[in-house]
Amino acid sequence: MSEASPVGTNAIDRIRDNPFYVLGLRPDATRQAIERQGTKLLGMLELELKSATSYPTPVGRAARTPEKVRAAMAELREPSRRLEHEIWARLEPEAMPAAPRDVAPIDDEIAPRAGQAADPWPDAFVALGWRAGR
Amino acid sequence: MSLRPLYVGIDLGTTNSTAAVFDGEKVTLVRNSAGATLTPSVVRIDARGGVTVGAKARRFLENDADNTRSEFKRLMGTAQSLDFKAAKTSKKPEELAAEVLKSLRADIKEHLGFVPSRAVISVPALFELPQSAATSEAARMAGFEKVELIQEPVASALAAGWSADEKAGSWLVYDLGGGTFDASLLETRDGLLRVVGHDGDNFLGGRDFDAALVDWVLQEVERTQGVTVSRANPKHAAGLRKLKLAVEEVKIELTRATEASLVLSGALEVDGVAVEIDLVVERSTLEAVTSALVERSIEVCKRLLAAHGLGPGQIGRVVLVGGPTVMPALRARVREALGAPFGAGLDPMTLVAQGASIYAATAGLDARAEATMEESGRRVWLQYPAMSSDLTPHVIGRLVDAGQNEGVKIRLSRNDGLWTSPDVALDEEGAFIVTLDLLPRRPNVFKIEARGANGKAIALSPSAFTIVQGMTIADPPLSRTVGVALADDGVRVYFARGAPLPAKRTFTHHTVESVARGSTECLLKIPIVQGELAQAHLCRLVGSLEIGGASVKASLPAGSAVEITLELDRGGHLSARALVPALGQIFEQVAHLLVPDASPDALDATVTAMRGRITELRADAMSRNAERTIGRLTYVECALLDAERETQAARGGDADAGQKARRTLLELDGMLEECEADKRWPELESRARRNLSEAGIWVGQYGSKSEQMLLEEAAQAVEKARAERNAVELQRQLRVVNNLYNACFQRHPDAWAWMFEDAASEADQATDMVRARTLVQSGRKALEKRDMDALRGIVQDLWKLLPVSAQKRRLGHDSGVR
Repeated sequence: MSEASPVGTNAIDRIRDNPFYVLGLRPDATRQAIERQGTKLLGMLELELKSATSYPTPVGRAARTPEKVRAAMAELREPSRRLEHEIWARLEPEAMPAAPRDVAPIDDEIAPRAGQAADPWPDAFVALGWRAGR
Repeated sequence: MSLRPLYVGIDLGTTNSTAAVFDGEKVTLVRNSAGATLTPSVVRIDARGGVTVGAKARRFLENDADNTRSEFKRLMGTAQSLDFKAAKTSKKPEELAAEVLKSLRADIKEHLGFVPSRAVISVPALFELPQSAATSEAARMAGFEKVELIQEPVASALAAGWSADEKAGSWLVYDLGGGTFDASLLETRDGLLRVVGHDGDNFLGGRDFDAALVDWVLQEVERTQGVTVSRANPKHAAGLRKLKLAVEEVKIELTRATEASLVLSGALEVDGVAVEIDLVVERSTLEAVTSALVERSIEVCKRLLAAHGLGPGQIGRVVLVGGPTVMPALRARVREALGAPFGAGLDPMTLVAQGASIYAATAGLDARAEATMEESGRRVWLQYPAMSSDLTPHVIGRLVDAGQNEGVKIRLSRNDGLWTSPDVALDEEGAFIVTLDLLPRRPNVFKIEARGANGKAIALSPSAFTIVQGMTIADPPLSRTVGVALADDGVRVYFARGAPLPAKRTFTHHTVESVARGSTECLLKIPIVQGELAQAHLCRLVGSLEIGGASVKASLPAGSAVEITLELDRGGHLSARALVPALGQIFEQVAHLLVPDASPDALDATVTAMRGRITELRADAMSRNAERTIGRLTYVECALLDAERETQAARGGDADAGQKARRTLLELDGMLEECEADKRWPELESRARRNLSEAGIWVGQYGSKSEQMLLEEAAQAVEKARAERNAVELQRQLRVVNNLYNACFQRHPDAWAWMFEDAASEADQATDMVRARTLVQSGRKALEKRDMDALRGIVQDLWKLLPVSAQKRRLGHDSGVR
């Protein structure tokens, strides 16, 4: 079967879709923090709050969807999978320049493009108490 | 009417059904009019059309079998209708299930004083999509406004976890139902219940225990009276039904007594000969004839544990579910083989219903219809976990009407008056987030208040909500991979097994043939399949989206883009949609959401064909001395005998046996495919070596550091799969390698020129020759100008026009997309 893993198979996808970045958490997050954060993000997305629709990664902002959040929570509940993601989430979310244009995602899944739903209000996360700041 | 939410769970079982109600603190089982918590899943329709359900109907199973039906759950999702001769009517399995649900709904009304409008209904973990869809349909017909489905093992674990004292641990749920066996490995930690893994046997259940004892009785009859009773003979069906009911009672009696009498009221009529059955069955006999079945279930459990790096003795508890698990010998053997104690105080017969009612709380499915009545005031849209293990969860809210938000402050308070939130201002989107404080293990009701900039109270709707503090249940995992069958017999996976539900994904496909507007003959099929194998024909077809010539606004040329969206809800209910951007049209009608029919002739033909394949594969395996393949082929050959026996029973009128044979054959077909893959293993291994070394060159030259790291990881995984001779995993890893290879190869300045020449050389076979020629001409011009961006687009368009083999397309369920 051709694979359509929620975690991409090329490097850029792999970093962009890393569950820690999707949830806006660092690799040392506790299990409870992951559940709490995931539940909160799902709620925010359900309420169509713009501040939840994208997230920063080392390769630029990416679009956040409920499916990505659910997949991220499921990945991080599995200890061995979590360990793998911890390695790929070592970079600070905005430490690297944006992805080169020629590295197109191989998978042709249609998802909201990063930036399409970019937050028009950059401080929303802080204002909503989602994170202490970045 | 209760002042707090009430949650209803229903175990719609093959043999019995049960309802339970959860009030946020404790679960209560609902008793039926006879005072029992188990209602037999039996429906009778008399000559006047009167419907009887439950124990009253069950009494007619023996003497009025033509008008009384049981075990219809096994036929859910099939086109099979069941006749009721006296009433001259026939009913689909879901209609009969709806009658059982109506009966339970009436019992709940007696119990609670109101008719529940929402509920959670349990389904076996290995239910296919059409079977789940039929269950939802049954609930709708029974009058439920909204239902969610839950997998039975998850429900059992939830009930067991809710009553457990220890906060962390692993559980094995051993669920031996009437028709299926499910083993689930679960983990509870910090209040989070998670399904770690699942395995099962779709062909093992209490019914097989009955069948084993029936076979023993028939052998005794043949030995002592010289009369042969055959399951394949429709004339013997009535006698066998009678015998089966008596055997079921003896089996239950033997859970307490060491011997039981099997006496039929009246003789069995077999080919005009009266056969008296009067036997003493000893418990040891029952244990002997069913021991192989118990061992089969234990093998499944051990396989599940091994798949997660565990062995017997390494699990905290075993939770037993289902009627057959009360057998003393079975309990002793399971305890010995798995080396873990049983969960104490858990009723195996009602655990599923109890768990379903708790799950209804996690889904916020309050059964009180009136509870959702609109209140007056500004509408606030709230999101919170209806049940949570977290003592300080968040509630997120948003005022959704057009009122003034500036200066509005929100305050929440718990109804015991001991906790109140600080005042929170709304943000620009009219939203707020508050961290709550919950009292443990009970329903917590919160009041929500708003004040305007002038300090005046603003009425809100709703003005209160409830969160039950207890457990958090991880999103239920999908039990089987779901995807779209492609014209080349491949499958595009949308949701892999284990994916958290709900889920939704969209991919772009391209049509392989044109659809002429107005033509009634043109029909583009988009088959939706479920299964783990890479070839579409080995996966189950569970639905099909169809785009017909009669429904398109304009003719659709081959190679047109189709955006297909598949969506699964928490209970695994599938919806599908195809958007054709060129036409601006959406097609949503999912057709043929049915389990295929299983006619005995088709089943026989399949068995014959499979025997031919076994002979061929065995000859090859012998020549290679491939012991593993030879062993697997022997297993398939033995299992084919079972399928043949079920096919014979299907000829005798047992539709359920036909379905069982169909599923067995499908699974065996998959095993034969694995044997064929084994035959191709040397070729796959050499391809792996070649692809890895080629990818190494390109990724080394054009890949980023991360891509080089990924290739290294993939190379290790390839090596592991090779060592384990795991063809499925090896193919999966090769796809990763090829993806990396392609990404890096395409960065070479001449890559698209090479690919253009390759595609152009096949243009004479294109599905649309005129368009292909035009594309080749445009490609030549782009190549001259070295316009690689344009060339890339042209090559991709050309690929979409290249033909697909008719044979492969047939195998791919006649898929019209690639």
